[in-house]
Amino acid sequence: MEIRARSRKVQPHQRGRVKQLEAEAEELRLQRKRLKAENQTLETLKKLRTSMNKQCTDEEVMQMEEDSEDSQLLQLMARHTQLTDLLQAHHLIGGYDIIKTRQGKGVCVSVATNYEGVYLDTYNLEIDLKPKLRISRHNIPPFIPLNSLTEQCNLQSHFRVFLDTLSCHLNAFTGRKQQLKLVKEQQKSVEVMESNVLCSLLVLMLTVSKGKPLVLCTLEYADHTSCLPTRVHFECEDKQLPDSPEWKKNCSLLIKTPVHKALMTMKTMGHIV
Amino acid sequence: MDESIKRTMQRLVRRIPNQLLKPTLDKWGRLTAAQKQSLDFTQPKWALTERLLALCEENEWTAKHIIELEMIYVIDNPNQGMWYAFQLMDPEDDAASVELAQFKEQFKSHLRELVKHVSVKIKKHTDEAVWIRIAWGDGFTRPNHLKPTYVVHHLQTPYVFVSSLTSKQKPLLSQALVLSTRYNVIKDANLSGRKLTAIRDLLMRQYQQVFPTKFPSPLTEKNETVSNPCIEKEQSGAAANRLQMACEAFGDGELPQLQSAVYKLETKFKDPTNKTMTEQEEPFKCVIKFASTNLLESLKQCATSGIASTPVTPLLSSIPLKGRNYFVITDNGPGPTTQMHTSQK
Amino acid sequence: RSCLGLTPALTARRLSKSRKAPKSHYITVRQRQPLLMFFSHEKVNPEHLALLLKSEWKLSYVTPLYQFRHTQLKSYSRQLSAFIAAEKQQGFAVEVDGSQSNFRVSFSVVQGMTETEDDAETVLIQVRAGFLRPISEAQRSVWSGWLTCVNGNSDYLCSLPKDFICLPLFGSSGSEVLTTLVQSWFQKMFDCCFGPLEMNNTCLQWLAALWTNCHPESSIQHLKMIWTLPVVPPLQITYTVNPKDAWKLWSSVRKDPCEENKEEEGVSIDIEDVMRFMQGLKSHFYRHFRLDLSAGCLKQVSTALGSATFSGRVKISNSQYILSTLTLLTECALFKMPV
Repeated sequence: MEIRARSRKVQPHQRGRVKQLEAEAEELRLQRKRLKAENQTLETLKKLRTSMNKQCTDEEVMQMEEDSEDSQLLQLMARHTQLTDLLQAHHLIGGYDIIKTRQGKGVCVSVATNYEGVYLDTYNLEIDLKPKLRISRHNIPPFIPLNSLTEQCNLQSHFRVFLDTLSCHLNAFTGRKQQLKLVKEQQKSVEVMESNVLCSLLVLMLTVSKGKPLVLCTLEYADHTSCLPTRVHFECEDKQLPDSPEWKKNCSLLIKTPVHKALMTMKTMGHIV
Repeated sequence: MDESIKRTMQRLVRRIPNQLLKPTLDKWGRLTAAQKQSLDFTQPKWALTERLLALCEENEWTAKHIIELEMIYVIDNPNQGMWYAFQLMDPEDDAASVELAQFKEQFKSHLRELVKHVSVKIKKHTDEAVWIRIAWGDGFTRPNHLKPTYVVHHLQTPYVFVSSLTSKQKPLLSQALVLSTRYNVIKDANLSGRKLTAIRDLLMRQYQQVFPTKFPSPLTEKNETVSNPCIEKEQSGAAANRLQMACEAFGDGELPQLQSAVYKLETKFKDPTNKTMTEQEEPFKCVIKFASTNLLESLKQCATSGIASTPVTPLLSSIPLKGRNYFVITDNGPGPTTQMHTSQK
Repeated sequence: RSCLGLTPALTARRLSKSRKAPKSHYITVRQRQPLLMFFSHEKVNPEHLALLLKSEWKLSYVTPLYQFRHTQLKSYSRQLSAFIAAEKQQGFAVEVDGSQSNFRVSFSVVQGMTETEDDAETVLIQVRAGFLRPISEAQRSVWSGWLTCVNGNSDYLCSLPKDFICLPLFGSSGSEVLTTLVQSWFQKMFDCCFGPLEMNNTCLQWLAALWTNCHPESSIQHLKMIWTLPVVPPLQITYTVNPKDAWKLWSSVRKDPCEENKEEEGVSIDIEDVMRFMQGLKSHFYRHFRLDLSAGCLKQVSTALGSATFSGRVKISNSQYILSTLTLLTECALFKMPV
């Protein structure tokens, strides 16, 4: 006791430290409480969502509502997450967001793009409705032939066809761009020699193995609505190589499979480093 | 050593700021390690120039090498000089499949057919831009490397950006470009500025555009004040609305840095308080020039602050919308409800 | 801050405090600008005139000079030369093409640059530099300046004590250091003080109108006005009007001039005309851009007859209208002057 008392006198800052730790502990306890509550809410939400998805009976819902004011809020939150998910699904299967603008004198259409389930860029078009349909503003890059698409699809009468074709172009473009990005990220041994803004041409330098001549692989995407090339061409000092059965197989692989996946396969097969 | 090479080198070194000289030379990679070490970059520019000229002689660099160095510098520092945008129109069916090697060969051969002495160097930059440097000569003189024209084009896009082009060279370049890109027409896009990146981003739509969307936009949240009593609510609503409209007109985030926009107005003077002027048959002629270090940002602020009324007038929103900064405005014809339109020059 | 009595309340306050001039008369003087004051060229030394038209002048106001004598100019020339030399020896950085130069000052009277009996004659000061003694006449002028009073408010001028001479408008062109030296010499000698003469919106608008009004006799080529709007980064708007259209608009906003002619001698311009003119220009601009120029600050006005900036730099390019321009500037200076 004496020692303690003395030490207290000598080191008054220790008391401060204790207080500080106590406060910290209190803070942590509060946080635990909060987290517990949060967890509980999430659990309830999850249950609510499952019941909603199962087209639950009205009785159950009623039961929840009786509980408290909170349950109403929970109900709304569950509904919100459900709708968000639906919206995402709607985008993934190729739906468009269309809203009215300028008191109904125009609309704004959003075309979301995705590749392999990953959301990519969203493009927007503002369209005047009167006197006739006219695109007044958009953020579609100039190498997508928007003008010729409006003519080809007849924007006035076949709006949906126009949107589908445009979406097709945009999805294919962002898909090719994404593939190129993945190649650059995943295949360190592959050198991208050439590409263009439309991602319609790709020249890759492939290393078969150390000491062996390099292979120049050209991929042409003449169909701008597709993520797959229309032509694959190999060039090599070893003139025999492109005609070898292995590389013929690689060629058909590259035609049928997205380039980053094809390269991955070629790597596993040991055809490239 | 050829006197003209020496002069080109001298001019080039003078142009490159001291702090950029070392990285540019490193990238060029024509100096041996020992030579690089012998250069003291803390020395004044004239001394460095002398030393580099000596090395030029020692290494027997030719015009080709100097051009290489110049292109490295210009490509890495594109926001200098004045850049003018041109638009290619009426593409042939095969325009979308023109690839680099073909374009290079075609462009060079077409230009050489038109001009006897011309030096063309084409380089593909990492961001997919094709850079063309043209040193012009004529029937009697050799290409002048001191005043080269620079052309930047992204294959498969309808835009070309040009700097330092004389009116005499313009038709020659236009023809070579049209033929090698497989388009039929090239015209002035009425967009110019000191920053190549800005005019490119504007035309390629590589900046953040804002559209009306269903969901509460983050823009309005950004603008919300922390304490928001009911009285201020309406006001802040109006402010948020102005901000939204300003963003829809000019974009959000970092806007392409244009320096100016010019409007040649030849429209009727209309003012209910001034009968004499309103009755005039002839248009009121004036030229309005807007200038700022970042024009779109300034105009956007005018709209958000209320100096400019919202919705933003089509004349101003046409700058980003049409990607132009030169306009000739005339009345659209007779009648009391004449709409102003931007006539194509 | 308004220098032309655009707001009567402010003018009245300013007046009642500062000068004992009758309010109504003061306002009349301020609002009625004598229109065409042709310069009688025979009266003025053509060399002096050429000098006035050649440069752009930085303007200041000067409070009345105590015991300044137009008869003492020779002596002032010597004294100012000596003053500059002494200051230079004390290390004042008076460098004009190397430090070895000597300066010679000459004062002269510009005869005929007055409008009324009460205006004091304009004084021109020139500083020439050279390397050798004696400095010849042909040596380069490195600095020039003048003090003037054209059409100064007679009530104010008459109210001054006897020993004071009022030359409220000071223009200088040349090295800033010399300007400062000349000013400090004047302050010491004549117990006066100098201050920068900023030209506010009203003053610049007056100039725009005055110059446009001259168009039928002497083409203005263009009417150019520059505004700056307070946004970040600042937005500069240059409004250039075709001369014929500027004149048409100006004539349309003027009150019937014939009527005025009957009443008084000469044609006069009312501040209301100027405001209507500017309002017309602004509303034409607003109709196109929906942007309010009144939110900005008028920074510069220029025509072929002259140019003026907010910061107080003026160039007068045409001798015919020099007096009407200087009348306006004299008023600005008198108004800006602290009392």
